[in-house]
Amino acid sequence: MKQKSISLITIVVLFAVAAVMPAVLKQYHLNMLTEIIIFALYAVSYNLLLGYAGLLSFGHASFFGLAAFATAVSIINIPGLSIWNVILISVAVTTLAGFALGGLLLRHKGAYFALLTLAFNSILFAIATKWHSVTGGDDGLSITRPDLSLGFTTIPLASLTNFYYLTLVVLGLAIIFCWYFTKTAMGQTVLLMRENEDRMKFLGYNTNISRLILFTFSGAVAGLAGIFYTFHFQFVSISAISGDMSTTVLLIAFVGGTKKFWGPILGAFVYIILQNYLSDVTDRWPLVMGMIFVLMVLFVPGGLSDVITNLWHKFFGKKDDKDGKLTTAEEVRP
Amino acid sequence: MSEFLVFFLHGLAYAGLLFLVSAGLTLVFGMMNVLNFAHAAMYMLGAYFSYTIVMQLTGQFWMSLMICPVILFVIGAVVERFLLRRVHRYGHVQELLLTFGLAYIITELVKWYWGNYPLAINVTGFLNGTVSIFGIIYPMYRIFIFVCAILVGGVMALVLYKTRLGIILRAAVNDSEMTNTLGVNVPLVFMGVFAFGAALSGFAGVIAGPLLSTFPGMAQEILLDAFVVIVVGGFGSLGGAILASLIIGELQSFGVLLFPKLSMALVYLLMAAVLIIKPSGLFGEES
Repeated sequence: MKQKSISLITIVVLFAVAAVMPAVLKQYHLNMLTEIIIFALYAVSYNLLLGYAGLLSFGHASFFGLAAFATAVSIINIPGLSIWNVILISVAVTTLAGFALGGLLLRHKGAYFALLTLAFNSILFAIATKWHSVTGGDDGLSITRPDLSLGFTTIPLASLTNFYYLTLVVLGLAIIFCWYFTKTAMGQTVLLMRENEDRMKFLGYNTNISRLILFTFSGAVAGLAGIFYTFHFQFVSISAISGDMSTTVLLIAFVGGTKKFWGPILGAFVYIILQNYLSDVTDRWPLVMGMIFVLMVLFVPGGLSDVITNLWHKFFGKKDDKDGKLTTAEEVRP
Repeated sequence: MSEFLVFFLHGLAYAGLLFLVSAGLTLVFGMMNVLNFAHAAMYMLGAYFSYTIVMQLTGQFWMSLMICPVILFVIGAVVERFLLRRVHRYGHVQELLLTFGLAYIITELVKWYWGNYPLAINVTGFLNGTVSIFGIIYPMYRIFIFVCAILVGGVMALVLYKTRLGIILRAAVNDSEMTNTLGVNVPLVFMGVFAFGAALSGFAGVIAGPLLSTFPGMAQEILLDAFVVIVVGGFGSLGGAILASLIIGELQSFGVLLFPKLSMALVYLLMAAVLIIKPSGLFGEES
């Protein structure tokens, strides 16, 4: 119970802080914060695969990019479509894609799975590049954000502040829902499957179905992030579905730490802020990012969240979890 | 008819290159269970070193063909000894991530040092000539690639199946722990194999330089094809790599001729089909 109330307080405080940000920050930084929220959700969805299920995917941009394109294409081709329907269509597309791809790919594990995700990402990238009439090919697609209709009133989203609040509410709730998902029986099943799949099978769980549901869910959430990516930049190019976008989410999740739910959120902050400042200082920021990544793989495999947790435990007297897995007692208990 | 022959020969040349890249990859995977994402980056390094040696320093293509594999061998040994071995205890995902990060860094370094644009490597003399095959004038260089692949494949097969070292290597592929228990210094074998794989990819890079252009995306390009080769051929199988290289090489070549729009997807479709019908690959063992 104590754990729960702490989490609740943290969430409320974070939302309150985020809510006053438009009054504090300049346009430029508010823009950055919006981007951080989008990438935080994207990385959280990725970590459901990597951190919780132990599935290493090199093709998460398939979903992110698919939704980004579905958003742009539906806004351009269906005039007068409301923002909710745009989101609905795009999430439906990625959910279906996640279900179909998951059905095909999840029969394989480990390196095979990683490879296959990479290959399918490449196929989608090739399609996006070649299918010029729909995706715009190398030129990309430009859109204007539709207004937000709430039934009784319409809020213009051309203003950054309004869009920021929409992003905060929708994606913030999505992140909380992901967190809730990991605490459900379903989420715990996935976690235990990673630890000992055979035992879960003996206990009567259908591990394949659980994994498929997780994969589909993760794809749909990544899709939601992709939708807001298109809304945010009011533009989508093939880079949204490229291997680079898959690499980015891997870097974010890993730098933040995959063992804790909030690791990827922290990672998104660090990554986007570093990207913004390092790219001012040097053109070589991907190199710096790559170095940080390799150093972390070598010395801090748990990522930043692990460093912080260990420091916390050191100063506040709790035993540090030696096995380095997500399954400390409090995390697994239903 | 002659058109088909030309495309068939193109396919053979590309198959040769693919084999040189994927042979090291499949050997390392078979033995160490590490899918080396940095493999293609080392191939790219080979090509760029070759550019510096041939175009800027000596002008001798043969020289780079000798030197680059040695440099890459050393790099491979260092990477295995000081980086890969450290993360081994954290498991395969961690190893995969490490090689992935290395590939990323190497690509960025290459962009930094050599620039983010294609560089041409020219060969001179005998290799720059043409030969006449069944009435077709065909570039000597592509024939040379295929011959190189046959030689390397032949030597590898001889070593693997006819020498004591080969017995140790095959034993380590099969069960590295047991081999270690029997008194073989398996960590040393791993280092050697990884370094050899890197040297082989460097060799392939030198050869690829004059054929394809040398640019920072060349690693990604061949990596996917090489992955398809080892998936189709079966992870860890040399024979599988040979057969799959030939299939993919010809498929790429005739794909461009017959279905220009689909050529990119054909290879992946083949891989998907193999994975659905026989997930362990053509020559792979059932796990």
